[in-house]
Amino acid sequence: MSEKELGQKWDRCLADCAVKIGTGLGVGIVFSVVFFKRRTLPITFCTGLGLGMAYSNCQNDFKSHYVLHSTIAK
Amino acid sequence: MAAKILPVVKLATKVTIAGGAIYVAYDSGLLGGGEEGSVALARAKAAVPPAVEEWMKYFGFELPATPKIEFSPLDAWNSGVQKSIHALSVAPSTMSDYSKQGLQYLKDLSK
Repeated sequence: MSEKELGQKWDRCLADCAVKIGTGLGVGIVFSVVFFKRRTLPITFCTGLGLGMAYSNCQNDFKSHYVLHSTIAK
Repeated sequence: MAAKILPVVKLATKVTIAGGAIYVAYDSGLLGGGEEGSVALARAKAAVPPAVEEWMKYFGFELPATPKIEFSPLDAWNSGVQKSIHALSVAPSTMSDYSKQGLQYLKDLSK
């Protein structure tokens, strides 16, 4: 993996992380207000979900360079 | 009759709101892969300044202009390492120059 490609992957990873955490926070706030009487548990849970999704995406993105990709011949 | 229907209507409303929030997040590509997330962030960055200007015009006051910072973390990320290694690479020639200057100074003093 070249230095430039690695830098682009990091940029994508950090941007995705910001988006997922923000989305988790937003959805958590909605759930907290609507269902859980403004408790903080849904907010932290959904923010954590977003962080986990971002981590998983980053992990796949960094690994994809080394994983053999195959297609099924039809 | 109405007393029995009201809790059901309330629950249905809550489920609709929560489901709608999740659907909007999914539809905007916020829950997809890394590429879609960075595209969504770029779209949000492009959409925020005009939206802020519209709201400012609507409310009738102006925000102070955001100060422009010259420092770029992306460019400065490796600057410590680069400067250290550069200093190490020029260290022999620098030491040699300083030694010559020191010797010259001592010679001038002894004259």
